[in-house]
Formats: sequence, C-alpha cells, structure tokens
Amino acid sequence: MVEVVADRVAPEQKKSGALDRGVVERLAGDDPEWLATRRMQALRIYEATPMPSTQLEEWRYTDLSRKLCLDKLHSPVAEALPDDPQAWPERLRSTMAEDHDAVGHLVLVDGSVVHTNIGAHLSSRGVVLTSLRRAATEHPTLLEKYLATQAIPPEDGKLQALNAMLWTDGVLLYVPPGVRLEHPVRVTRWYSETGAAFFSRTLIVADSASKLAYVDEALSDDFDQETLTSQAVEVFASDGAHVQYVSAQRIGRGAFCHAAQRILLGRDATLDMLNVSLGASTTRVDLNARLLGSGADSNLLGLYFGDGDQHFDHNTSQDHIAPAARSDLLYKGALDDSSRAVFRGVIRVAEGAQQTDAYQTNRNLILSDNARADALPKLEIHADDVKCSHGATVGQLDEESLFYLMSRGLTRAQAERLVVVGFLGMVLQRLPLGGVVEKVTRVIEEKLRLGAHA
Amino acid sequence: MSDTTILSIENLHVKVADEGLAILKGVDLTLPGGEVHAVMGPNGSGKSTLAKVLTGHPGYEVVAGTVVFDGRDLLELEPNERACAGIFLAFQYPVEIPGVSIANFLRTAMQSRLVEGEELDLFDFQDLLLDRMNLLDMDVSFAERPVNDGFSGGEKKRNEILQMAVLKPRLALMDETDSGLDIDALKVVAHGVNTLRCEDPTMSVLLITHYQRMLDYIRPDVVHVMVDGRIVRSGGPDVAVRLEEEGYAMLREADARTVVQM
Ligand SMILES: Nc1ncnc2c1ncn2[C@@H]1O[C@H](COP(=O)(O)OP(=O)(O)OP(=O)(O)O)[C@@H](O)[C@H]1O
Ligand SMILES: [Mg+2]
Repeated sequence: MVEVVADRVAPEQKKSGALDRGVVERLAGDDPEWLATRRMQALRIYEATPMPSTQLEEWRYTDLSRKLCLDKLHSPVAEALPDDPQAWPERLRSTMAEDHDAVGHLVLVDGSVVHTNIGAHLSSRGVVLTSLRRAATEHPTLLEKYLATQAIPPEDGKLQALNAMLWTDGVLLYVPPGVRLEHPVRVTRWYSETGAAFFSRTLIVADSASKLAYVDEALSDDFDQETLTSQAVEVFASDGAHVQYVSAQRIGRGAFCHAAQRILLGRDATLDMLNVSLGASTTRVDLNARLLGSGADSNLLGLYFGDGDQHFDHNTSQDHIAPAARSDLLYKGALDDSSRAVFRGVIRVAEGAQQTDAYQTNRNLILSDNARADALPKLEIHADDVKCSHGATVGQLDEESLFYLMSRGLTRAQAERLVVVGFLGMVLQRLPLGGVVEKVTRVIEEKLRLGAHA
Repeated sequence: MSDTTILSIENLHVKVADEGLAILKGVDLTLPGGEVHAVMGPNGSGKSTLAKVLTGHPGYEVVAGTVVFDGRDLLELEPNERACAGIFLAFQYPVEIPGVSIANFLRTAMQSRLVEGEELDLFDFQDLLLDRMNLLDMDVSFAERPVNDGFSGGEKKRNEILQMAVLKPRLALMDETDSGLDIDALKVVAHGVNTLRCEDPTMSVLLITHYQRMLDYIRPDVVHVMVDGRIVRSGGPDVAVRLEEEGYAMLREADARTVVQM
C-alpha cells in the first residue's frame, strides 16, 4: 500500500500543505461564495479559540498537547483514485463487496469521494446521495441551511472550527418526506496517506416521516506517522422520521480519530445509533443527541475494544429539550493490554421537559492488569416529572464462566473470546438492523483473533 | 485395577486453593467402564468438590492422592484437555453466560475436539443438535438463547444434559441434576441419559444425588456414601433405599471409618 502512495505523490507537492491559513484560502478559492465566507469565518473562530487542555473537564483524560501535533501534519496531497474498483486497495474492495443489499454506495479514499451509486428508483423520488463537495454547488439551499449551522457550527469548539475551515469533502444524504429506504446506504472510507490530516463532514437530512439506514465504515492499514481523521457528523431527523446510523471505525494504529456527532430529533422522530470503535491509537467521539420534539426516541449504542496502547474517549450527552421524549444509551467496551477507555456521559433535562425517560449505561470488561477504564456519568435535571438513571461498571472476566466453558473443551483463549464477544454483542441485540449485526460481530471476532487472545 | 476401569481415585486430599480449608480427606473410588455409580451424602460433605476437582476447577488444590482416567494421570490435564479426553460435568449450579448462544458455544466446543486444521461440518452439527434437542424434548428456539441466561432452574439442568448429549462424554459426572426438575422433566432427562448409555455402553456415569427417585430411572451399579470428605460406605442399590428410609443416622450405627467394600 505504502508504495502505491509514494507513486501517486509528486515530490514537490509533499513540502507544501502544512495546516495553515494558505490551505484554508486555497480551499475557499474552490468554494461558492457563501461557503468561502463560512470557511474564513471558521478560521477566525479557530484562531480565537484556545486548544482544549486537560484543565477542562471534558478533556481531562485526553491530552491533546501530547496526542495531537497539528504542526507535524499536512493536508492530503495524493491525487484522488479513479472511480474504478480495480485501482482500489484490496481491503477496501473486499469490504465493499460484502454489501450486496445496500440501496446506495459511496466510497471515500483519503477524504475524497471517488465513487457514488444510488438506485435510479430512489433518485427519481428525490433521494440524494452525493459528495458534499459537489453538493456545495448542486444543492446549495440544503447546505446553506444545514451545513455547520444548527448542528455542529465552528463555535462548538476548537476541533469543530478546525474541521469547518479545512473540510475537503464528505457525504450528503437527503431523503424526502415520506420516502422510506428499505436497506442501508453504505459508506466506506479508506485512508492511506501517512502523516496527513483528513477533514470530512457527513450531513444526513431525513425529512418528515422518512426512513433511512446509514452505515459508515472507516478502515486503513497502520500508519507509521501520526495521522488525523476528523469527521463532523450532522444528522437531522425531522418529525416522524426514522434514522438508523452506524459507524464502524477500524483505522490503523498511529491515527488520531476524532468524530463530532450531533443528531437533532424532531417530534416523534426515532434514532437507532451505533458507534463501533476498534481502531486508531486515539479515538475521541463527541456525541450529542438533542431531543427537540416531544415523542422523540433515541437508542444510542456504542462498542469499543482496545488492545496495545489504544486510547478511547467517548464523550456523550443526551439533551432533553422537549417533554415526553426518550433516550437510552448503552456503551460497552473491552480493554486488553495497556489500553484505556474513558466514558463521560451526561443526561441534561431542560426545564419543562417533563415526562422524560432517559437512561445511560456504560459497562467495561478489563482483560489485563494494565488496562484501565474510567466512567464518569452525570445527570443535570431541571424538571421534576422524569425517569432518569445512569449506571457504570468496570469488571473483569468471570473465572467461573471461563471454567464452565473450558469444562466443555474450549481453550482458555477460546473461552475468553466467547465471553468477550458475548459481552459486547449484547449491545447489538438492541439494534434492529439485520446484516450489520453479523458484520460487526465478525469484525470484533477478527480483532480478537488478531490480538493477544488468539 | 481391571482393564475396564475408567476412573480410579486413590487417597485424594483436596483443599481450597489459597486457604487452609481441607474438604476431601482421602477419597478412594474405582469406577469400571460402563457402570453407573451414585454418590450420596449430607450437605457439605464434599460431593460437588469431588466433581469439580475431577473437572479441573482452579479453585481447589490437590494436596495428595492420584486420579487415573482412562490410563492417564488426570490431574496433569487442563480442564479443556479433560473435556476433550471425555470428562463431562453437569453442574449443580450452571453458570449464566450472557450474550453467548447455546448453539455457538456447543459449535466451538465440538470444534475444539477436532485436530488442528480440521473443520466441523456445520450441517452435521446442526443435525446432531436438533436430534439431541428432540431427545430431551426441548424447543429448537433454545439453541439461540444465551447459555443459562434467564433460564429457570429446571431449564438449566436440562440444558446441562443437552450439552452432555451433544458432546458424548466417556465419563459423565452428574451433580444433582435431579434437583429442580419436575417429575416429567426428570423422566425426560433420565431417558436422555439412558439413551446415551445404550448408544455407547462403555460410557460411565458418576451420579451425585440426594434422592432415590433419580436412581429409580437411572439404575446404579454401586452407591457410595460420602461423609466429611471421605467415602464411608459403598454398596449395592439397597444402600440408597436404606438411606432414603433411615437418613444418615444409619451410618452412625456402623463405624463411619470402616469402608464397606462391595
Ligand atoms: N471454594 C470454596 N471456598 C470455601 N469453602 C468451600 C469451597 N468449596 C467448597 N467449600 C466447602 O466445602 C464443603 C463441601 O462443599 P461441596 O459443595 O463439595 O458439598 P456438597 O457435598 O456438594 O453439598 P450439597 O449436597 O449441599 O451440594 C462445604 O462446607 C463448602 O462450604
Ligand atoms: Mg453439591
């Protein structure tokens, strides 16, 4: 893979592309005017915002000054791959090939969309699946309204501003009112350029009473230099819409992977969401579900499994603005070797959000003496007629369970594997999305097999 | 020791690992292949401990004595090696394993019995599992349920025998499988065990129980009585009948230290 990259990069290009004002100006030069203005505005906010330090509660366990050296990163310089699977890396091809029943496909290589495919019967009904860069000129009204405005504006934070000024491409999925997709849209991302910083955005708009499922899988080989993948995911579930969102991250070691995700739910909207974090050296997810309409219902699921010195930091919030909405969060992780996980979750119930049902659970399984998990659940409740609970556990493999399985003939490693997959897999039972459950189980098993517990 | 002896326990002393507490204090027991031996005895006398030690539970330490299974030093083997050698324990208190389905677990257990590189035929496995569920009058939906998770007491016991019927051990250790089973379930389970013995007449059973009832369905060749970590009496089926009638008081008449040989 590395050789392929070297072939594609012109030597003189390698020197330029440091993450400075010049890159922002170059990107803005290709933007329509409204977008260029926003990019430059994001730059101003970025410059005025200090880098979050561990003094901040939200960043206490992830030291950006040590884990993310922006000065050493450059913006991607490799040329985009052609829209031809034969030219793609084998792992990307085989991952794509598994998804037969998808209603649409989109492939990003090194942050740029190289392939888009959506059934004609869907595009004729107004469904849009396209590159965000193209959408900037082809669907400006939609983007002007939703992109980096109501969900993840640059004012949200330093890293959000960074993304808003440097994003190069991404995904737009729009489903018109009443249109219901019966199968998922599949997005596959491949990263190969080492030492680069990739910024992309995902914008999903599910119009009223529509239904969609979106599965986003990111993968790469290991990186020999620190590499950043930054994603801003904005999801709008309008009144009565049903959105299923799955992201599975299997990026190679050496990567710092940041995802900012915000989902806005209207009246009676439903969200089933799953974040699977398996790869990267450092993973930071900022997830916020905002229940803006009464009757909104969100299932927020997460899985992570670490080995080596992997670091996972999940920072979640469930904001109940409207009354009579429900949110249920379950994040589970297993940690081996000297890997480490932090889960920080808050349920906020605004004044007037009566009849709220909000739950939050984080469970961790520690597989080695050097692994560590911290859970920091929090409730901020400003209404009196609510049902809220939170719980967190950090436990070890149960020796009696392992003995039971071994007494049937399983080796200790097999027994551990089964218990870990069972422990994590229970999260998937809450996700009513066939095919994806099997796939995620398979990638967890794959990681277990490759790890020390093989 | 005759050629047909499958299990031979001599002077077995066991204590709780990391603690001083002695539980088995010199157990002697010989089990010829194909026979059914019952072990009875008061609560806390060490019956389950014996079964778990034979299976290789890491919570116990063998202080003295030998156990030979099928000509091999059993105490040398890991729990999984013992299982693959043909030992199976139907637990008194089966563990719940959330998220792991019975089918998946048994498939892995069957696969672990094959030599390296050999693949389990999934169709054969499926057939075997269905056949065994049928034998034990179990609904097929059980196969996809997580192991013992949320099972009733009786369902857990039946699930133990299902595993036994799939894995076909040479020596089945059954620890109070009858407790928790209703009358009908007891008959079904006993029928399952007897079917396995018909299929393989060399299969041996060491059956721990408190009640004669179980022994009406699975006829023992020998009944052992364990008291305070020792076998204090061994005899024919009538020992169980007398115990049922008189309770353990009958042992006090005899010298509890005299082991009555058959
Ligand atoms: N891990 C352990 N730690 C401490 N004590 C133990 C342990 N295992 C067994 N014991 C003790 O050893 C004794 C024998 O226990 P065991 O479970 O073998 O009895 P049992 O004969 O099976 O009884 P029951 O008929 O009630 O099932 C009991 O007093 C029990 O409390
Ligand atoms: Mg017992």
